[in-house]
Amino acid sequence: MTDPRIERLAALLTDYSLALRAGQVLRIDSLDAGSPLVLSLYEAALRAGALPYTNVDLPGLTESLLQLGSDEQLTYLSPIQWQEIEELDALVTIWSEANTRALSRVEPDRHAAYIAAQRKLSNRRWQRISAGEMSWCGTLFPTNAHAQEAEMSLAEYEDFVYAACHVHEKDPASHWRAVSTELQRRAAELGSVRELRIVGPDTDLRLGVDGRSWLAADGRYNMPDGEVFTSPVETETEGEIRYTFPAVYHGREVEDVRLRFEEGRVVAAEAARGNAYLQSLLEMDAGARVLGEAAFGLNYEIDRFTRNILFDEKIGGTMHFALGSGFPETGSENTSGLHWDMICDLRSEGEVYADGELIWKEGRFLAEPALEVVESGVRGS
Amino acid sequence: MVPRYLERLAGVLVDYSTGVREGDLVCIDTGPAAAPLVREIWRHVLEAGGHPHLRLDVDGAPELLLREGSDEQLAWVSPLRREEVQRSDVRIAIEAEVNTRANSRVHPERQARAERARDALRRIHFARVSSGDLRYVVTLFPTPAAAQDAEMSLSEYENFVIRAGLLDRDDPRGEWEALGRAYAGLATRLDARKEIRVVGDGTDLSLGVEGRKWIPCAGRENFPDGEVFTGPIETKVDGTIRFTYPAGYAGRRIGGVELEFRAGEVVRARADEGEEFLREMLAVDEGARRAGEFSFGLNEAVSEFTGHTLFDEKIGGTVHLALGASYPESGGKVESALHWDFVCDLRNGSEVYADGELIYRDGRFLDGLL
Repeated sequence: MTDPRIERLAALLTDYSLALRAGQVLRIDSLDAGSPLVLSLYEAALRAGALPYTNVDLPGLTESLLQLGSDEQLTYLSPIQWQEIEELDALVTIWSEANTRALSRVEPDRHAAYIAAQRKLSNRRWQRISAGEMSWCGTLFPTNAHAQEAEMSLAEYEDFVYAACHVHEKDPASHWRAVSTELQRRAAELGSVRELRIVGPDTDLRLGVDGRSWLAADGRYNMPDGEVFTSPVETETEGEIRYTFPAVYHGREVEDVRLRFEEGRVVAAEAARGNAYLQSLLEMDAGARVLGEAAFGLNYEIDRFTRNILFDEKIGGTMHFALGSGFPETGSENTSGLHWDMICDLRSEGEVYADGELIWKEGRFLAEPALEVVESGVRGS
Repeated sequence: MVPRYLERLAGVLVDYSTGVREGDLVCIDTGPAAAPLVREIWRHVLEAGGHPHLRLDVDGAPELLLREGSDEQLAWVSPLRREEVQRSDVRIAIEAEVNTRANSRVHPERQARAERARDALRRIHFARVSSGDLRYVVTLFPTPAAAQDAEMSLSEYENFVIRAGLLDRDDPRGEWEALGRAYAGLATRLDARKEIRVVGDGTDLSLGVEGRKWIPCAGRENFPDGEVFTGPIETKVDGTIRFTYPAGYAGRRIGGVELEFRAGEVVRARADEGEEFLREMLAVDEGARRAGEFSFGLNEAVSEFTGHTLFDEKIGGTVHLALGASYPESGGKVESALHWDFVCDLRNGSEVYADGELIYRDGRFLDGLL
């Protein structure tokens, strides 16, 4: 029997996240472990009158390409893939790994070459998404591998994932519409702030955000979701920060990262574990030492670190600050090959000041956002 | 299947059947149950310098479409499917059903609609195979569902599949090449004939084959294989044929089929099981009422009925006839969205005559022909 939460998640994705309409072409990408959600989604899309099809992968194939492929094979993009992108109206990516560490021993150079080639396709996809020509949402189907990463049983992890998506309740879409309204209000309010100051254990960081837009991540591109984010002014970050959670980049963990910024750039960095990796990533390019993102995690159903950025960056009561590329739509000018989200837990001792005024304490905003609804930005009905 | 045979099967499919070369775009078309074989094929394709591309249907999705889809949805062909058929250099299709009867309760009319929708793709596929632009092979990965149809345990069925593909021999590829030469000799001898007449229990059918080409099949497009077929002249099929074995098609089974032809066209059709579906399929289009293929099954390692056309039509000592599309390389001109094979066992005293001369009795060609 199908878990009703899977069906609700499928309906939430088609009705709310993608707002899928009749006649639209939807591709569903997943590994075979995600089949229950693939099928539910396929059914929901059929009911919406859309034209869905599935693109399912098997564990082990990418691994074998990375092991055996010639340089040409590694970087090959088929005409099938290029043509498909042009014809999609909507795409769902379901992450459902059978082994989250399967690629740990792949030669880094070969992996990088593969990723760089794949990025050409995803760049074109993002172009079409940004132009409003297609929609995309990424979500996760709980597997034992993800549960293991989170140090939970599969049943516990399922409860965690579905609660984070609010599909443990009957009408998740109305929950997300309410979240969207609240996040839009919060983003609008933060838009008038000139400087943020974050104070916590070993942390006192000032960010210039004057003139930058804040955006609400409200379940359109990710499910679950729940953050407001901007890209800080590139030259104005000052002070120190200590990241409580391990910072993960391409499956490798760096623990207890401490950074010191002057005039927007990292001038000192150290980590208790993985320090060499941290230093090498900071050297990637000029933009790698500059913050590309500052964000408040506001999904309070997500209450613990699970080693998966889809969830971790939204943990209610945390902030994350990413080194590397920023978001042009917020006004950012920082470009880099890096975008590394690092998460700072502010739930026990953190404070955030906006232009000197305390707005956030122990993981919560002190006041509800002002009632200036930006209607046009609210997804609706 | 034990890894040794999976590896052999993958090797034969990639190196022999489709001859994958450097730079080939190779589409592997299957379901999740075939994952162990897919991994082996994937590896072989990479080693041969090809670019493997996986096309995996989630179990249950096709049934959902047939059950829930609107007319528009049923008639729609995804860009992925279309591009795969148009752009692949090689397609390796692996049947790996988890339930061979999943569509039993779908309305036949809806299935006919879905068949018609795929017709354009099928034409492109056939045309590209015929011109040599696309190398194609279809095989089967043994699943419990297929074993169930064969009334065997999974391991018995796996052994059957291994034997049928000659994968238990030291040099399967060499064996298939030798069979290919023998089949080619038979085909040349049949090419000289004008009319074939099949006489057996409930069967007396004449087929005009003058000027048509007989095609030897030794593991290139089907694996396992073992047949020599042609496309009969479209207006020259006359008489009655009663098929011995039930015929599976599109997730259903139809049994006790009897067809009467006049001037190439089915004028009477009945079935003990699934007659409504048979009628619906005959009405798919004009070509569905004609015999697009007539063939001798020649694989002596396949001797029993297992409920799957890929194997049943190869049983040494049978003939089969397909309703619908012919293969252009045989000279056949039937165009149809349908291609449905029915198998007739001739190992029971049946006879085949070529231009009035007895050439085949009790399931075997007379001396010197094969």
